[in-house]
Amino acid sequence: MKFRCERDVLAEALTSASRGVNNRPSLPVLSGLLLDLHGGKLRVTGSDLDLTISVAIPVDTEREGVTVANAKLITDIVRSLDPGAVMFSVDDDEASVTAGRSAFSVRTIAATEFPNLPEPSGSSVAVDAQAFAAAARQVVSAASRDQDRPILGGVQMETEGEGLRLVATDSYRLAVRDLPGVVILDDSQSVLVPAEALRNLVQLINDEDELRLRIGERDLTFELGEARIMTRRIEGQFPNYRTLIPKDHPNKLTVERGPFVEAVKRVKSVVRDSATPIRLVMKADGLELSVTTQDYGAGFEQLDAKYEGTELAVAFNPQFLIDGAEAAGGEEITIETVDNLKPALLVSSESPDYRYVLMPVRFP
Amino acid sequence: MTASTGQERHRTILHVDMDAFFVSVELLDRPDLVGQPVVVGGSGRRGVIAAASYPARRYGVHSAMSTARARQLCPELVVLDGHHDRYVAVSQRLMALFGERTPLVEPISLDEAFLDVSGARRLLGDGEQIAHELRREVRSLLGLDCSVGVASTKFVAKLASQQAKPRPVTGGPAVGAGVLVVDDDDVLDFLHPLAVSALWGVGPATLSRLEGAGLVHVGDLARTPVEVLVSLLGESAGRHLHRLAHGIDDRSVVADREAKSVGHEQTYTYDLTSRDAMNRELLRLADAVAARLAPGGLAGATVTLKVRFGDFTTLTRSHTPPTPVASTRVLAEIARQLALSIDPTSGVRLLGVSVSGLVPAGGARQMSFDEVDVADPDGVGVQRTVDAIRQRWGPAAIGPAALLDPGGLQLRRRGDAPWGPADRDGSVGS
Repeated sequence: MKFRCERDVLAEALTSASRGVNNRPSLPVLSGLLLDLHGGKLRVTGSDLDLTISVAIPVDTEREGVTVANAKLITDIVRSLDPGAVMFSVDDDEASVTAGRSAFSVRTIAATEFPNLPEPSGSSVAVDAQAFAAAARQVVSAASRDQDRPILGGVQMETEGEGLRLVATDSYRLAVRDLPGVVILDDSQSVLVPAEALRNLVQLINDEDELRLRIGERDLTFELGEARIMTRRIEGQFPNYRTLIPKDHPNKLTVERGPFVEAVKRVKSVVRDSATPIRLVMKADGLELSVTTQDYGAGFEQLDAKYEGTELAVAFNPQFLIDGAEAAGGEEITIETVDNLKPALLVSSESPDYRYVLMPVRFP
Repeated sequence: MTASTGQERHRTILHVDMDAFFVSVELLDRPDLVGQPVVVGGSGRRGVIAAASYPARRYGVHSAMSTARARQLCPELVVLDGHHDRYVAVSQRLMALFGERTPLVEPISLDEAFLDVSGARRLLGDGEQIAHELRREVRSLLGLDCSVGVASTKFVAKLASQQAKPRPVTGGPAVGAGVLVVDDDDVLDFLHPLAVSALWGVGPATLSRLEGAGLVHVGDLARTPVEVLVSLLGESAGRHLHRLAHGIDDRSVVADREAKSVGHEQTYTYDLTSRDAMNRELLRLADAVAARLAPGGLAGATVTLKVRFGDFTTLTRSHTPPTPVASTRVLAEIARQLALSIDPTSGVRLLGVSVSGLVPAGGARQMSFDEVDVADPDGVGVQRTVDAIRQRWGPAAIGPAALLDPGGLQLRRRGDAPWGPADRDGSVGS
């Protein structure tokens, strides 16, 4: 194979597809990217079999062909080149990359060793790419990153009223985002998507208008123009989260979102572990934030806030609080509480479709 | 949140310091030299003393002195060669003895360590009792003497152990108190008469500045406004000494948390082949681990499950919940969760449960949705009761009902058949 391409275009394609490559691949060949050149297009694919990311770019083709090159190596090389045209050619088991006065040669792996990836299945439905990306961004941080709890590592897609709902929880917090009017599932249908796939999807979406979903029996494919993310669906029953969303809250705190996030981050700076909570004291005349650690020190800050309810001291994991407040968006957020042991509800005044439920940290 | 919080924060810290460690170890082989002026160190022309017996110290001999000078002070001095590997070996046994009281052991050197026994008070008695018992045990098992200081802060505990030490008095045996307890109420009375040089961080330079300002005793420091100390010694040292002079020291006893873990494993005579059997064994192991965490008042950040199959392939799975784990129930729950992905039908030969990243238990705890309506979500209340009952009536007095069989409560404890499984375990998998 042999082609010519602008460095920026090639680098971006390689970077995107590399996100599909696992650092510890199950097969040696999966540490590589599949480069498939024909019909004037170069398709770059990275996969760990569970997740596949594939992008295509137009290139000046001299000779069609297909090969596999180490993902990290080839991506690092192309990114390090001077801007401008890059010549890429493969002969036998060596790829050569030249640009300006730089020249590299890289060992390749025979493309025949690359596993056959399943073709996308299921019929295709279109959604607004920007709206879907915004919704996905709001929930993914609440999904668990714990390998040992695969179901909680997923984002549940289901039908809610006349629309789509995305839900994620790691059992300590829960993020729910509704997309009214987006009808892509049957009423009783639900799909559990690995959060990792959505994190990658969100990164892949730039200014595209349309995102197409193909929901297969075992797989799910997102198509964005020429780019494609295919992921295995998570099997299993997502927890029944509906009862966790509190309906009635005697206490209601309203605070400006930006200053609140900044204050939590500042006060959190004395925390050096993942277990030290931030304490919120909610009073009629405002909000107090404090952190005390035995080994490092303490932080304290006061914020203006509106508060209806009885004075309450409640503690949270500061990062969880930041995740929720950042995702909520809008000028103001409201934190609704029952007491210091019951789940709290965080919502934004401007986006009622998003809800974030957070369990407190208990003091002994 | 409750009245017990203050109690929890109040630590009981022991500083244990061996008396003339190197010399005492050498004298184990040379009982004929006991009571003689003996040193360990270089006997050559440029030799230096590494350690001196108390009789030798009576002559003014001390460590870091040149051997030649020491011989001048004490002509009949016996100089022995040191055996470092031996000190290391004895030290390991010593630290292991400490570790039986509490996993919160912070070794300072081969012969010196801090122990935070706050969590053991309920089971082993107050700090003074633990200190005396520890001294007796070190004496009877290792044939060595130590001095122990007991206080609620590290630096007072260390000063106390120095006060408890034998003194090189002229004539007569050099006997020390062995154990000195400084209660919180007495800390200032204890500290203030001491020379400022006794405090941590007072080296020769600081000392001369303090003495230049007429500050000789710790009490003088305490009466000096912190601003004056800061202008004299700088921000950090000034505030540090001010705090110490008022008996304040927040430093906690830090065990080697990364490396430290508590675990149990069991090899079965007959492979386990069912999930039920595996879950039952995991409960048994979790109970054993929780029982060992209890005396130290500890919890483990990470729970690790180890599984070895009949064909000896071994795998481990770990989980780090947002809050460290101390109770049998939560430990067993996590171990079982971790085991969900393991298919026992081919035969499980060995199971192990361990926790690592040990921290004091009872800290703040992230709650999960699973416990919105659970009364004692940590299992802490239950665990305390279990620990108290075991303390009084023995380990087999109470345990999870699932571990009851016609032969009684089948618990696992450290040292049970370490060389391999006993036959009775075979009944488990069948």
